[in-house]
Order: sequence, then C-alpha cells, then structure tokens
Amino acid sequence: MSALDWLVLTGTLAFIIGYGTWRTRTAGSSLDGYLLGGRQTRWWGVGLSIIATQASAITFLSTPGQAFADGMRFIQFYFGLPVAMVLIAIVAVPIYHRLRVYTAYEYLQRRFDKRTRTLAAGLFLLQRGLSNGLSLYAPALVLSAILGWNTTVTVCLLGAAIIGYTVSGGTRAVTVTQQGQVAVIFSGMAIAGYLLVHYLPPQVGFADAMHVAGRMGKLNLVDFNFDWQNRYNFWTGMTGGLFLALSYFGTDQSQVQRYLSGQSITQSRLGLLMNGLIKVPMQFGILLIGVLLFVFYLFQPAPLTFNRPVYEKVMSNPALSAEARQLESQHTEVQAAQQEAATALVAARQGQDAQLQATAQQRLQTTQAAASGLRKSWEALVKRADPAADSKDTDYVFISFVLRYLPRGLVGLLVAVVLSAAMSSAAGGLNSLGSTTLIDLYRPFTRRQHCTEAHLVRVSRWATVGWGTLGVGFALFASRMENLIQAVNILGSLFYGTILGIFAVAFFQKHVHGRAVFWAAVVTQVATVLAFWLTDIAYLWYNILGCFAVMLLAELLQKLMPEPVEAMQESLAT
Amino acid sequence: MPHSTHSHSDNKPPLLPTWRAWYLLVLGALAAEIGVFVWLSRWFAT
Repeated sequence: MSALDWLVLTGTLAFIIGYGTWRTRTAGSSLDGYLLGGRQTRWWGVGLSIIATQASAITFLSTPGQAFADGMRFIQFYFGLPVAMVLIAIVAVPIYHRLRVYTAYEYLQRRFDKRTRTLAAGLFLLQRGLSNGLSLYAPALVLSAILGWNTTVTVCLLGAAIIGYTVSGGTRAVTVTQQGQVAVIFSGMAIAGYLLVHYLPPQVGFADAMHVAGRMGKLNLVDFNFDWQNRYNFWTGMTGGLFLALSYFGTDQSQVQRYLSGQSITQSRLGLLMNGLIKVPMQFGILLIGVLLFVFYLFQPAPLTFNRPVYEKVMSNPALSAEARQLESQHTEVQAAQQEAATALVAARQGQDAQLQATAQQRLQTTQAAASGLRKSWEALVKRADPAADSKDTDYVFISFVLRYLPRGLVGLLVAVVLSAAMSSAAGGLNSLGSTTLIDLYRPFTRRQHCTEAHLVRVSRWATVGWGTLGVGFALFASRMENLIQAVNILGSLFYGTILGIFAVAFFQKHVHGRAVFWAAVVTQVATVLAFWLTDIAYLWYNILGCFAVMLLAELLQKLMPEPVEAMQESLAT
Repeated sequence: MPHSTHSHSDNKPPLLPTWRAWYLLVLGALAAEIGVFVWLSRWFAT
C-alpha cells in the first residue's frame, strides 16, 4: 500500500473511532445510557446498527469470492430474513419494550424462571464469546496473506481499538461508530463495483457482462427445485434461512440489544423493517461484484491462484515446482482461449447472431471446464505441499483485485471497508457480551444488596474488557488451530435451535412453565450434540429441528410434570 | 411490575396507515425482488 493509502486508511478509521468516542463520552453516567444508549436511538440508527452488526469482514471478503466461483445462488439464503424481520417486529419487539428489559434473556426469567434465563444466557455467552474473536482473526489472516501484515499485531490493534471505544461509550458508542462504518462500507463497495465495470474492455458494456455471466451459469439467483443435498435453493432459504434469521435477530443479544436501544416500539420496528428491506438488495450487490469479477478475469489475466503465500509455498518446494510451472503454463494457454471465446461471445451478442452466440458459448464452457480441471490439479498439488494449507482461494479474489487494479487512495478506502466491517460486528458482539454478563449473570447472583448504577456500569465495563481480551487471545490461539475455528462455528449453530425453541415456547405456549421448558431445552441440547456426532444432518437443519424439539418436549413435559403452585406464583410475581 | 412504554404513537406507524401495511410492504418487496431475480436468471441465460 502507498503512503496515500495508509493516510486514507488510518484517517478514516481514526476519525470514525475518535468521533464515536467523543460523541458518547458521557454515556456511562447511567445504566440505561451505557447499556441501551438511553433508549434514544431513531429507526435509521437502529437499522444501520443491525446491518453493521451482521456484516462482518468475511461478508466483504468471502461473498464476492463465492459468487466468483459459484454464482449468485447464495442470495437465496437471505430470502427468509425479511419474513423473520416482520415476525420479530410483530411478536418480540412489543414484549421486550413493554417489559423494559436490557437483554432478551431477562424476559425469560419474567416468563419462566431464573435457571431457564441463566441457561439461555450461558449458551449465548459461550457461543458469542468464542466466535467474536474469530471475527477479528478471519480478516487479519487474509490481510496478512495479501499485504504481509503481521496477524498478531493486526488482531491486537483491532482488538484494542474495539475494546477502547466499546468500554468508553457502551451501546451508544457502538451505534455511532457503526453509522460511520456503514457509510464507509457502502461507499467503498459502490466505488469498487463502478470501477469493475469501468475496467472491462471498451467493447464490453454492463449488459454484455451480465449476458456472459448468465450464459456461464453465474446468475443462478433462484432455484425452485428442492434438494436435500443442495444448501442454496428457494426452499432452504425460506425454511433454514428463516429460522436462522429468527434465532439470530430474535434471540441473540448482539442483535436484540440494537433494537432495544430504539426510542420506542415504532422506532425499533422500523429499524428491523429497514433491515428487511435493505438486506436482500445489499447481498445482491455484493454478489454482483463477485460475478463482475468473474467476467473481468475472462478478459484480464488471472493468476493460477489468488492465495499468494500458498503459491509461493508450492513454488519453493523443489519436488513440486516443475509440476506447478507446467500447470501455470497450461493455465496461461487456457486463459488466452477463454479471452478469445468471451470476446467472440460478446461480438456475437452485439451482432444478434444466435448461431455464433451458441458456438462461442460452447467454446467458453469448454475453456471453463479446462480451467476447472487445472484448478483441481492445483489444489491437489497444494495438499501435497502442505496437507494443512487452504487450497481454496475465493477469500482472496476481491482483495487481490483491489490491490492490483484500484488507484492509490482507493486501496486504503477498501481496506478500511474490510476493517470497518470487522470492527462493527465485533463491537456489537462485545457490547452484548458485557451487557449479558452484567444483567444475566452478575446482577441476579451478586450478594451486594444495593448496587448503584455507577457500580453496575463499572462491572459491565470490566466484563467488556474481559470478553474483549478473551476474544483477542482466542483469535491469536485460533491461528494455530484451524479445526478450532470450524468447531466454534458449528458449536454456535448447534445452540441456536435450542435458544429459539425456548423463546418460541415463551411467546406462543402460554400454559407451559419454567420446569418443563428448562428440561426440554437441556434434553434437546444434548440430543442435538449427539445427532451432530452420530448423523450427517447438515447443521442448517439443527435450527429448525432444535426449535420444534424444545416446543414439543416442553408441551409433553408440562403434561407429565405440572409446575408446583409456589413456583408458578414466584414466576408470576417477578 | 415494570411500567409500560406503549403509547398511541406505537399503534400508528409513520408514512403508512397501519403496521399491517408496513409488513405487506416488506413482504411485497421480497416477492418483487424474487420476481426480478427469476427474470434476471432467465433473461441473461439465453
């Protein structure tokens, strides 16, 4: 990166963090102000905060790469999200707001009992506490590979900045900084998309690029055929995607806290609905960048792999370098044939010659099949060089384009996009971890009779520092254990179904009491973990299965072991 | 018991006459987006 890029990068991040910290310097004067920004956030602030918390760095690194390799079918995974926003706006928002809770789990004690609340909060803390660190590690890993940055230094610097402003201004600081971060993210991605089209050869317009992508099967946006083996189709989006969105936005404190900070039910609802309106077009835009990258690299030379460190590792291996060079030379030949076929396809389209179009398409598909074969050979070669190495390079496609083709200054802006996304999601998570620790673990169990607000804010701050430090430590540790990352990601998805089930019982099965739902949740969680070990059910379905299992078991247990009268009275009194 | 923050303004949303209209707007937008995606998939595939 040039000096100008460094100036843009550090200037952008320093301004966003500095302004956010200064604007919210008095937020810690009350518990309400610290945990929920004084419940003063307007609908657009709520909406932007929800979007920023969900959009991690991986959204902007991996998603274009996924479209580059696999087309746009991933968009279908988001079809359930707007439906989930409507359901949460109708059911959850009025309940949370009227009870004036700080966390979603606080509601569970009012509806059931303390242990059900503690169980749900504990599952959340375990899952979010571990995964939050990974949201720092993933971009640090890619940036270290591409820019040569030190992973440890990147993770520590990012972590320190996030802990600093989250501890200082609490939820308000997170919300204010997220507004700046979203502005940077949207403008950076829009500029990158525009320049991608601009950099296509002069005879290739946007419509031509779309036609080439469509004929190569990259605009596979909707597939109505149901197939258990196919993770992305309309039906999995409307079922698995819907339940995932219900779990994440309805019961995960990192998101619930965003709309609890809304000024009123109206403002919180509008914030959620704003997310429902924006999310699908936003994902479409990010995936479209990936498809345009695919077309761009039909006309421009692409490397054998975008993962430079892996390339160098293979090339420096004396036993494999000759084979690798041969693959590289075949790749160059395939690239030339590809460019020729793509140019012929565009010319045939512009000349409206159907016969020529079909011929050129056939040629392009043949070269694509050859390129795919070479990619497989390369991946096998990588595994021979280092079985633990990541042979896929899709995470590196977009950032490689940015560094190679974008002008000075804009490279800094696009790296700021990636880091802003990493910070916005990690800060939202960290903020919710500090709040849940205080509200659901410390306050109900402390022996101190009268806690002042200043004391509670102090505890929340220390909890945030603790979770932040743990997250940074975990991110550094994760760099040595790739399997651990996968385990944490899977662990999260195994908890979501149970937590959603507890909330579904709370909302819809009014006659079910605490004891039944608690044991239903425990049994379901154990069964989910066992099913994960013993069966090959895709973990997307655990959300739905877990949710319905808790609901059914709770109903059954309620009939088998009705709540003692005193427990019901206690539950009603709280 | 916690006091209620529910107000009359929460019953009537801004810009549109009812919350149901807002929900239909979000779901209608989703339906329209899926329709456009189906059209894009087919139009550019040939």
